[in-house]
Amino acid sequence: MPDFSEHIGRPTGAGRIVVERGPIAAFARAITDDNPVYHDADAAREAGFAHVPAPPTYTFAIGNWGRFPEQQPEDPTGGVNPMAEVMGGLMASGGIVLHGEQEFVYHRPIVAGDVLEHRGVVKDIYAKESKGRTMTFMVIEDTYTDIDGQPVVTSTMNLLHRT
Amino acid sequence: MAGQRLSFDGVEEGDEAPVVSHKLTRTDLTMYAGASGDFNPMHHDEVAAKAAGLPSVFGHGMFSAGLLGKALTDYVGVGNLASYKVRFTKQTWPDEVLTTRVVVKAKRADDGGRFVDLGCSLANEDGEVKVAGEAVAHAD
Repeated sequence: MPDFSEHIGRPTGAGRIVVERGPIAAFARAITDDNPVYHDADAAREAGFAHVPAPPTYTFAIGNWGRFPEQQPEDPTGGVNPMAEVMGGLMASGGIVLHGEQEFVYHRPIVAGDVLEHRGVVKDIYAKESKGRTMTFMVIEDTYTDIDGQPVVTSTMNLLHRT
Repeated sequence: MAGQRLSFDGVEEGDEAPVVSHKLTRTDLTMYAGASGDFNPMHHDEVAAKAAGLPSVFGHGMFSAGLLGKALTDYVGVGNLASYKVRFTKQTWPDEVLTTRVVVKAKRADDGGRFVDLGCSLANEDGEVKVAGEAVAHAD
């Protein structure tokens, strides 16, 4: 089995994200969640939030919204995302890539108006043989902190390539 | 700042949260694609999915995780999850009726506060588990 250990610790990206109310409401609707706290700022404040909170899985989509070009830090990957490099390399000889596991650790709720700093890193990468097939697992950890450096959410994604 | 927490003394191991049931539609997949920014065509382009040998488009794993997350936050209160982890075990398909199951596994108190450990899963009408996982909620 190939040794991918050299990729552990490589950055997968970085960004500054402004958390906006509209995308939160659209996301809540898309997961069929009509809880008023996601849609009505008064209901959110009544529940004790500073503004509308984000649903627990919103973090997985958060980077698609409020990531404005003029606010972004320098790309730490040097233009080469190790996720694309490793999984793309494996896919070149066939197989499929699957999202195997997803974990969120919440330090505090995300609310509209938050400005978050995102950092992604390859946490682990390993391969297993199973039923004559090679499964290559890639664990990516995405940390989101507020602008004072306090942790908000840590998201861990386990991707796998199966031959 | 959060919704109503679970009462630590009011819950017991084995308690189950109210279920959330939802029949998956292609409109759900389109809405989730737009709201999440996940435009993998296997989730919204029936022509491309069939060309790839699939019977139809299939659901985003994170839609399933989101639906299960709704059952969790309905039970423990929005903003009260300490962690939430899922494993994706099977694909979901349009017209399947997906139903959540959230069960209290344990409760514990330590220096960090009071916590309720939950097991959670999402299955179709035949009992085929699509997503399985666990969560930890802050309790009062």
